[in-house]
Amino acid sequence: MEEKVLTGKLYDIQGFSVQDGPGVRTTAFLKGCPLRCPWCHSPESQAFYPQLSWISMRCQGTELCKSRCLEACTKGALELGDTREDAVSGAEIQMVHVKRDICDNCGECAEVCYPGALFICGKDYTVEELVKRLLQDKRFYERSGGGVTISGGEALCQPEFVLAVLKRLKEEGIHTALDTTGFAAWSVVEKVMPYVDLFLYDLKHMDSEKHKAVTAVPNEPILENARKIAAAGGKMQVRIPVIPMFNNDEANIRKTAEFCKELGDAIEVIQLLPYHNMGVTKYLRISDEPVAEATTPSDEFMQKLKRIMEEYGLPVTIH
Amino acid sequence: MYELKPMTDRVKKIREKYRNARPKVDINRYRLVTEFYMNNPQLTGILKRAKNLRNLFENMPVHINEDEVIVGWQGASYRCCALYPETSFNWFMKELRDGTIPKREQDPYDIDPEDEKYLLETGDFWDKNSMSAITDEYMPRYHRDNMIGNGVLFFGAKDNCQSPVGHFVANFWTATQKGFGAIQKEAEDKMRQLEEDGIYGDSIYKYNFYRAVSIVSEGLIHWSERYGAECERLAEKETNPERKAELLRMADSLNWIMKNPCRNFHDAVQCIYLYQLSMCMDGQQHGISYGRVDQYLGHYYEQDIANGTITPEYAQEILDLFYLKVAECNKIWSEGATKSGPGYTSGQLMTLGGTDKDGNDATNAVTYMMLQSAGRLVLHDPPQALRIHDGTPDELWEAAIETTKLCGGVPTFESDKVIVPALMKRGIPLEDARNYCLNGCVEPSVGGYEWAQPGGTGTESYLNIANAFLLAINNGTNPMRFPGGPAPKQTGPATGYLYEMTSMDQVLEAVRTQFDFFCKWQISCINAWEYVAAFHNPLPMVSATLEGCMENGKDCQAGGAKYNSTGNSCIGLGNVADSLNIIDYVCFREKIATTRELYDAIMANWEGYEELRQIINGRVPRYGNGDPEADKYVDFTASAYANAINRGTGPRGRFSAGCYPVTANVIFGWFTWATPDGRKFGEALADGISNVQGMDKNGPVSFINSVLNFDQSEYGNGTLCNMKFHPTALKGAGGNAKLRAVMQSYFDGGGMELQLNVVSSDTLRDAQAHPENYKDLVVRVAGFSAYFVEVFKGCQDDLIRRTEMGL
Repeated sequence: MEEKVLTGKLYDIQGFSVQDGPGVRTTAFLKGCPLRCPWCHSPESQAFYPQLSWISMRCQGTELCKSRCLEACTKGALELGDTREDAVSGAEIQMVHVKRDICDNCGECAEVCYPGALFICGKDYTVEELVKRLLQDKRFYERSGGGVTISGGEALCQPEFVLAVLKRLKEEGIHTALDTTGFAAWSVVEKVMPYVDLFLYDLKHMDSEKHKAVTAVPNEPILENARKIAAAGGKMQVRIPVIPMFNNDEANIRKTAEFCKELGDAIEVIQLLPYHNMGVTKYLRISDEPVAEATTPSDEFMQKLKRIMEEYGLPVTIH
Repeated sequence: MYELKPMTDRVKKIREKYRNARPKVDINRYRLVTEFYMNNPQLTGILKRAKNLRNLFENMPVHINEDEVIVGWQGASYRCCALYPETSFNWFMKELRDGTIPKREQDPYDIDPEDEKYLLETGDFWDKNSMSAITDEYMPRYHRDNMIGNGVLFFGAKDNCQSPVGHFVANFWTATQKGFGAIQKEAEDKMRQLEEDGIYGDSIYKYNFYRAVSIVSEGLIHWSERYGAECERLAEKETNPERKAELLRMADSLNWIMKNPCRNFHDAVQCIYLYQLSMCMDGQQHGISYGRVDQYLGHYYEQDIANGTITPEYAQEILDLFYLKVAECNKIWSEGATKSGPGYTSGQLMTLGGTDKDGNDATNAVTYMMLQSAGRLVLHDPPQALRIHDGTPDELWEAAIETTKLCGGVPTFESDKVIVPALMKRGIPLEDARNYCLNGCVEPSVGGYEWAQPGGTGTESYLNIANAFLLAINNGTNPMRFPGGPAPKQTGPATGYLYEMTSMDQVLEAVRTQFDFFCKWQISCINAWEYVAAFHNPLPMVSATLEGCMENGKDCQAGGAKYNSTGNSCIGLGNVADSLNIIDYVCFREKIATTRELYDAIMANWEGYEELRQIINGRVPRYGNGDPEADKYVDFTASAYANAINRGTGPRGRFSAGCYPVTANVIFGWFTWATPDGRKFGEALADGISNVQGMDKNGPVSFINSVLNFDQSEYGNGTLCNMKFHPTALKGAGGNAKLRAVMQSYFDGGGMELQLNVVSSDTLRDAQAHPENYKDLVVRVAGFSAYFVEVFKGCQDDLIRRTEMGL
């Protein structure tokens, strides 16, 4: 009988992660998310399956590579696309284009694209493979008071894998953070909780209707899980992405503050994350559909929101 | 919050003058030395050098600029450079005749037409009278007959002493606390004793050494007094009563110091500056370093503050003015050499922080004042090196990180944890090893106690191991052919061709054989130079204070110092490590190409092999990403080189391996054929101990994990590790703490030195396009910092290409 090896699907591992939790951390990004937040700056994190990704900057042109990718594709999903000027030589480079309606993400083209302009985003790791990789950076965690952050996507969509990884990390004495949307069954959260030192917990909107209209899921399970984590003695950094024309009105901010107040000591800090447009170009790596772009909130506006939340006696930072 | 206090108006004024002055060549020193040598062929060896220096002390113009408090100079105009023809002058005469010196792309100098005329009339005298000419005669026969064109050694067919000795640190404690009056007396007493006892046996060597020390000590005292007299002259004319009083205080100091022990902070600063300058006048400015400046000055400062005889503000101003004087020091290099050290740098490195001999933290008020001066003046010179140990105060970490953000690579961070044991490996006891400082760029030595000769020949004696590797896979022949040059011939051992090799073991054996062979010859050539230098280029001025010399009655160049060693540096570590990994992966493990195909691809400079090159650049795991498989040949490469060097001995002591290519990685790249790591002919070699440029894609943590794969404590002559951080990576309240943690992790893991640039590539590109907006942007280039807009484009591009860590 063949034993089934537990694997998880990741789209990235990032060392020197200094924005996601205390100290210097290494973050494992798990692939797949039930939410569809339009401001998501990692669109490649959403699908649960491997995806063909395309980074135009890396394409060295069909002349140089002799159109290997076009020849490799047996589905007819590639064609000649735009041209661009090479930054160094100034020569015109003929790039390719992925016909997304035909491409089935088989990765045959990526196999022969050596510069990695075409590549498959999403790779399976066994628990031990991932833990071994994360432990390489141990000396940095120790010196900085950092550790490992498990992020997504929504990591809790791969509950057994996450649980196994977290357990192993705790055995090794590593500080763990779980960056989550909170959208998961409580039974899942409850299981991983003993191995999570800190939750990085997103709150996007207090109105469930609006939450669902924009992110595709309601907020009740999210709020409920937050309450239960707090009640069970969990620690969290609440993160609020501040999105123009969605959740940045004073009424919502006040309701969010009231909710956070309810969570009491569980909250270490509330981080206000101003919307930024750095993810916009990433959408074009995996689709032809551009994503709507908003304007970044001003510092002044962020300060105002911070002051409002501070009225409730909450510790707030702008991230 | 770290705070920069405002500069005084006169400091601002001098700084402005410094940044706007166009350097020129000053021939005062040249004229005096040339005439002295022409008129005194009967003088040789140490007496010639001593009397030559005394002649300079007596006749160099004493020039004091407006607003100066710390005085002394080797020329008559601001920010000029002196000439040192005794070492090597052919390069200068060639550039002078070509008319390129005022026009060259990097570090141009103006020359007065009158001076140019004199130089043209007299310069050829040095053709047969320089150290280069003498050294060429003494190069080993085998090297001359069989090894020209190997591309590995720094030594060539001729002009083998293009740079001076440099890279040493005198004993400034002795200079400040004992004074040269006492030193001269000691020398005189020893001479009289020998005269009385009879100068028997080898005591004639000692006798002549003491005689030289007496001559230069007397000269130095006289030089200081000449400056004192000039201050008095200026004071007489001065109408501003405050400045008049200051000039008189300066005169009092100059008339006292050098002869006597320093009395206060001002004395001590003036003393170390003037003594340093005297050694530059003798041995040339070339990475002659200051050592542990905070340790020399700290107690004087504290005593003056306690006595109420100085204010912190005035002391800081004196330090600022001292830094500006050091910054003013210029040295003209050949156009080629300038490319490996661009941006008008003289490399007078200062060390701060660290511990005392018992391992206790040695930070004092002057440590912070030094960072304050470097930060608020935004100076690339003098470079600063901060010694880090477990007890380094938080406040000092904070001040240092804030300073490096303001001024790229100032200070560098040096780890006691690795450097102290590395020095002990070359025989220095713990207590003295703890007193180490850094020389030139990053080379550790015990300043004032050790004659470490970090550059081997006195210059940067680099070993191009990327070329040694190419010889290993090409039967001992450098594949590079100069256009129109003769066919390359075999210069190294016949280790066979890559296409004949059937296992990695064979490849590694070939590489080790070449490394052993070329390290042997590197050491042999350096020893040939040592032989010449011991007689023709002794340095009595530094020997006067260097621990051991007076006791042994022996010049430092002849082995008089308490500790002795000789350094070396390799270039191309990352290229060789990656090339080995690539041969293993591509030819033996994955069988993507045969050894014949890979060999042909390299010999063809990759032409016709683009697909293979793309696979190598895109698919093969590479050094620098924390991938243990890809990193496994770093240790082999680093050890093969270090073992071969560390086995070497010279007339004075052991050799010590290093890896700090400065920007010579760019220059050497121009003369290194294509390598298996996908590098084409002419492209830069890897920087420092880093991976091949742009191949680290996993951020700073993985990069460090890779670099820590070899034992840096075997690199007693220093390693250099550049990291560039994007400013956003360090933003926020905890940013500095996180950066500190990354550095400490590197040191915990056995890292020796780190130098940081906190600047984005976008900023550097913008500075390239609009230099007028970035006049004061200081970046760490390599073993030194420079104003970004003042370095040549190839080097600017190399800086931009270095991977930016963060986000």
